Amino acid sequence: MRLLLLVSVLGLVLPGHAAVKADDEESSNSPHQADMTPEDVQFFADHIAPLLQEKCAGCHSHASQSMEGGLTLDSQSGWSNGGDRGPAVVPGRPEESLLLQAVAYKDPDLQMPPDERLTAQQIKLLTEWIRRGAPDPRTPPEVVAVDADWWSLRPLQPVAVPGDGHPVDAFIQARLQQQQLSPVPAADRRTLIRRAFITLHGLPPTPEQTAAFVNDGSVDAWPQLIDSLLASPRYGEHWARHWLDVIHFADSHGCEHDVKRPHAWRFRDYVISRFNDDMPYPRFVREQLAADVFYPQQPELTAALGFLAAGPLELSRAGTAPVTFDYLDRDDMVTQTMAAITSTTVNCARCHRHKFDPISQEDYYSLQAVFAGVGKGDLSFETSADVQQQRRELSQLRQAAAARNGDVLLQQKYASRVQSWLSAQAAAEVDWLTLRPDVFVSAGGATLTRQADHSILASGVVPDEETYTLTAPVPGERVTAIRIEALRDESLPMNGPGRAGNGNFHLSELRLQWFPAAGVTPQTLSVSRTSTDFDQDGWTSAQAVDGDRKSGWAIYPRVDQTHAIVLELQQPLDLTDGGRLALTLQHLYPPKHVMGRVRVAVTAADPAAARLLPSDVAAAVGKPQTARTQEEKLAIAAAALEEYAVSRQAELPPLATVYGVSSDWSHAKKLPQPMTPKKVHVLQRGAFDRPQQEVGPGALSAIDWLPARFSVTTADGESVRRAALADWLVHADNPLTHRSIVNRVWQFHFGQGLVNTPNDFGRMGGRPSHPELLDWLAVWFRDEASGSLKQLHRLLMTSDAWRRNSMAGGDPTGQRVDAGNRLLWRQNRSRLTAEMFRDSVLQISGRLDLTMGGPGVEQFRKSKGPQATPALDYDGWDWESPQARRRSIYRVVWRGIADPFMEALDFPDLGLLAPQRGFSVSSLQSLTLLNNDFVLHASQWMSDRICSEHSDVSDQVRRAISLAWLRSPTQAELARGAKFVQRHGLAAYCRVLFNSNEFLFVD
Amino acid sequence: MQRREFLYQGGGGFGGLALSSLLAADDVSPRADFNGGLHHPARVRRVIQLFMTGGASPMDTFDYKPELERLHGEKLGPAEKPEGFTASPGALMKSPFAFARYGESGRWVSSVFPQQAQCVDDMAFLMAMASKTNVHGPGTYMMNTGFILPGFPCLGAWTSYALGRLVDNLPTFVVLPDAKGLPYNQRGPFSSGFLPAVHQGTVINAGANNPVPDLFADPRFEFARGRADQSARELLHEMNHAHQQSRRDDARLDARIRSYELAAGMQLSAPEAFDLSLESGSTHTAYGLDDAVTEDFGRRCLLARRLCERGTRFVQVWSGPQGATGNWDNHASIPKELPPIARSVDLPIAALLRDLKQRGLFEDTLLIWTTEFGRTPFAQGGEGRDHNGGTFVTWMAGAGIKAGTAYGASDDWGYQTAEGKTYCYDLHATILHLMGIDHERLTFRQNGIDRRLTDVHGHVVKEILS
Repeated sequence: MRLLLLVSVLGLVLPGHAAVKADDEESSNSPHQADMTPEDVQFFADHIAPLLQEKCAGCHSHASQSMEGGLTLDSQSGWSNGGDRGPAVVPGRPEESLLLQAVAYKDPDLQMPPDERLTAQQIKLLTEWIRRGAPDPRTPPEVVAVDADWWSLRPLQPVAVPGDGHPVDAFIQARLQQQQLSPVPAADRRTLIRRAFITLHGLPPTPEQTAAFVNDGSVDAWPQLIDSLLASPRYGEHWARHWLDVIHFADSHGCEHDVKRPHAWRFRDYVISRFNDDMPYPRFVREQLAADVFYPQQPELTAALGFLAAGPLELSRAGTAPVTFDYLDRDDMVTQTMAAITSTTVNCARCHRHKFDPISQEDYYSLQAVFAGVGKGDLSFETSADVQQQRRELSQLRQAAAARNGDVLLQQKYASRVQSWLSAQAAAEVDWLTLRPDVFVSAGGATLTRQADHSILASGVVPDEETYTLTAPVPGERVTAIRIEALRDESLPMNGPGRAGNGNFHLSELRLQWFPAAGVTPQTLSVSRTSTDFDQDGWTSAQAVDGDRKSGWAIYPRVDQTHAIVLELQQPLDLTDGGRLALTLQHLYPPKHVMGRVRVAVTAADPAAARLLPSDVAAAVGKPQTARTQEEKLAIAAAALEEYAVSRQAELPPLATVYGVSSDWSHAKKLPQPMTPKKVHVLQRGAFDRPQQEVGPGALSAIDWLPARFSVTTADGESVRRAALADWLVHADNPLTHRSIVNRVWQFHFGQGLVNTPNDFGRMGGRPSHPELLDWLAVWFRDEASGSLKQLHRLLMTSDAWRRNSMAGGDPTGQRVDAGNRLLWRQNRSRLTAEMFRDSVLQISGRLDLTMGGPGVEQFRKSKGPQATPALDYDGWDWESPQARRRSIYRVVWRGIADPFMEALDFPDLGLLAPQRGFSVSSLQSLTLLNNDFVLHASQWMSDRICSEHSDVSDQVRRAISLAWLRSPTQAELARGAKFVQRHGLAAYCRVLFNSNEFLFVD
Repeated sequence: MQRREFLYQGGGGFGGLALSSLLAADDVSPRADFNGGLHHPARVRRVIQLFMTGGASPMDTFDYKPELERLHGEKLGPAEKPEGFTASPGALMKSPFAFARYGESGRWVSSVFPQQAQCVDDMAFLMAMASKTNVHGPGTYMMNTGFILPGFPCLGAWTSYALGRLVDNLPTFVVLPDAKGLPYNQRGPFSSGFLPAVHQGTVINAGANNPVPDLFADPRFEFARGRADQSARELLHEMNHAHQQSRRDDARLDARIRSYELAAGMQLSAPEAFDLSLESGSTHTAYGLDDAVTEDFGRRCLLARRLCERGTRFVQVWSGPQGATGNWDNHASIPKELPPIARSVDLPIAALLRDLKQRGLFEDTLLIWTTEFGRTPFAQGGEGRDHNGGTFVTWMAGAGIKAGTAYGASDDWGYQTAEGKTYCYDLHATILHLMGIDHERLTFRQNGIDRRLTDVHGHVVKEILS
């Protein structure tokens, strides 16, 4: 492997001529190559290069794949940047150079080389070199590309299938023959159907399904079984989890403030539906990176943007270390995207060029620049284009109504709506019942006096801020709406109705509370809608209930007249048991804008009838039709269509929300306006405080037939960057993407990939066991299957290789030659994952609820934690609750507080990407499988189920084995089982079955 | 390392299997002639790590700074809020506590640690530790896993991975969190990361009736207890044994069969190990179990000793939960917030140290006291201190440690390190070294990188080793 790594071997890549001009400006005092004398170059080549090579390169060079202490000495930039302790050499100053201190062995902390001191002569040479200004003519390894000729980076080429029959088998067989290995025969049908169900659904077949398949003699029984499994929604539920693992998706942030992402599940549902719909893989990738750019006409695809927000979020760092946060948060997006889709480890190039693969730091930071305009947060979106269209039209209609735009409002198509609204107005009759407040308080110190008409008049001090609290008994049976009048009064400036010098007021916020006669706890009444006879421009009635202290309802310039606001209640208020209504009227901003005289009334009428019309509309409605001016007709149409639009809007489904990425978010905070992409710099040694040159968006330059830097301008907006990366990723000529996905799918069918490092196709990763097969599959998947994963499943599962027995059989050759079964002379046995175990147990015990989608199920008790993160108690969860029956994919996965049961069966730590599930065995795992409440409950459920079906103990044992193992018991098993059940009960027996290797492993 | 890679790269088919059993045949398995070490003879076979959550203030505990008394009240710090500070730094602030010298070594210790002060001649101090972050979450990750990002294995998991278990009947790596809650990053600091799940810390709720989760079936399930349970295991063994007959080549099946035998052993041993009532009244008193202030931490220190005595390899005892109160994150007031949390640990720590020593456990047990970072010499909001990764203190005691020594020094303010700077890499390298592990050779291939606990850093701090 190392032979292929053609980096400059230390000290040997010397420029052919002494006066070669360096390409880059170096920010050090070292002489440029152009300034070096031939003597300098010769001195270095004769004395220094061999010395560094012999004594230092073993631990401090790119070629050795080792940079102890962060230091490399194989280039000028290596020693001038230095390592953890700073620059190793200060040109011209031997006494300040760490390198000399280290070789001098004076500091006990720093003695290099550690095993043997340099000779005095060698130290003298180094001193002399530094004194001369440390001329170093070597070409830095950074600019010598690591050889890009590597299997995963080579273009995809059509590959000839080496033989007839199933192409997959042809490739496998060719390799087996080379090794003179014979494959084992096919597994029996019972084994096959269990393997197929577990592989595609993560659930076992029922005994009935098993029997039907075993007895199905038709030639196409197998392909039909595969088709039916792929057509079932269980398929998407199972395969979605694979993808969610690969991209470390969870329902909480992780890290210090590990709070829930209540809307993350939309992305999980999106992934399930995409697998079930068999969305072509390139499109699946495009949607997840930039659905907003590629498919703006499908707003529901916004859920796909959950992809980039799948990983952890360090909320604490977002607040206190924002620069670090930006780089590391983007690092997570870059790492995830490139590992999941291209199986490359670009993140290795964060601090220095990738040591093994042709990935430069500039490549890496260009990828960071792709995501420089987004942050993670909740995004609202429409669930269909149709609704989006309707909402848009209604919003436009309301704009037209507000602008009194006759071209829109007086169109013939609206005429009948306007007419029927007018008829309703004519019919509307509303009785208002004036309340008689018996308590009225001014927080600002004004004098409040009750008037004969039961209004309250303010006098005396005019405070800057004022809150009136009025309470009154309410007669009658119910209240649907409340009216507050601001009355004209001659004691007020400009005759009011406000106390401000110009007669205006600003009602900032108002609150309605109901105190039931019998209770002590007041109930806050919610307002569904407000209306007034007049709103000042920019100060509308709705602002009086919006929770914003700086906004409110005002009436200027229509002073010297009475105005009113009507508040329609969300729920009618039932007065049967008596009580008191309290109104809190807050005037907070600007100063002294306080109502002068207030009267309150209530009604039980239809709220729509109680609604106030703007005064000009009300006047127009009151006139006979023939007497209305054009302006008045327009006013009526505006009011009617506003009413229509608002009621239609209320009927539309609400916007959905997903935890995703957008330019509306930065540092976990929503921005007032979308951000422009932040500047991204190459960071020297990955240090946030050592920014180098700025870079624009791009990808890997090693694939030189695709554009490695994206031509986007700042005017393009950030989304174009993501789209450009998606284009790069799914380009037909991108060899990584297509190899990566077929290898992943292969892995979940055969237990290991053709490349057994699914996230690393680089030099540190594994080599393909069948390179031609991998390439053939990638090309086939791209060209023949058009990216259809279901077709790929069909192809793999119809091969002989897939259907082989997992037992080694009698012939020891395979075991001897290829114990790891890389050549697939048999199938690999797999252990159930945590989800497969849990879901299988639920199904077998008759408790599985197949409801799909929706918010996740929290299978724990949640209580307040020491700070933002709650405390989760998994043991306290009620396994009898209906929610306990849902499939595991619908579990809420708390990133930092894993479910111990799932963890015991190797559910991964989703702080990192998890392309493969681990396998562990421990006594704690055994205890969990024996004694965890879930297993014990399920043992009882399964027992209950079987007891309801069979009363004979032998029948019960037969049924239990059939459900768990999908086969009939042997005579001995039956006798042993019956004896055990008679003594300890069926539940005890079911518990043993759940712990058995025959249940836990899939042959 | 060939075999290890083979075992772990295989994924589904050959996933990392019961290392402790398969590694026995491996040339990098722990060696008896190395006293259980991996690469060289081990001085330490078990570790108790005490972790002070929140950032224990060095200049108010172990790092005496007379210069702060002279400059008290002067505004000499950074003008702008440095990255990672929660607020702009205020004026320099002296410690409100009196310092005195103790022991033959003459270590300075403040009045908040009167008991530990009596033990300084057994301790070796790293006086100039630094962190690469001033933020709790990343800082806690760093001190436990060597990385500021989530997903990496912690020290305890690495030692479990490297050395396997000492005994079959107790968990290898036990975590005893504060009764008030989990530390920063929840269970992240005890995670096995990309190592197999078997190496993660077993979280034990020391105050609960059944501290080891799922050790026995809940009494509601009669069918899984007592005689029925015994018979069930026999039946299970028969079933698994029969199943294995035609699958002899699959070592995983055998490992699972044996794991049930080990589980039975744990059921026998664990209740005794966790039963503190078996300790004498004077031991309870010594650890502070009869004082409400010291009871929780004292109980966990005593439990840590019992577990180590019985063969648990790594025990981590946490002081303080995450959050703004009840831990060492004393932003608001050093004089008000530090004394209570310091008092809650001081007596138990001293008791544990004396107990380990007296029982001869210091022959092969290492005791570590540490935190995620230090605090600023500048006041925050009057009399508190902000986060500071610049310099902080860790001490170690026990096997392989040169008692009564110190290495490194902070600057005159206690703001940054001045000499002998160490990072978690050096601390971890030193601990691994004591356990017979070369930190550069303990690796795990993950996503294209041979991961190490010490990344590309780390020097064994030989100055504090005996």
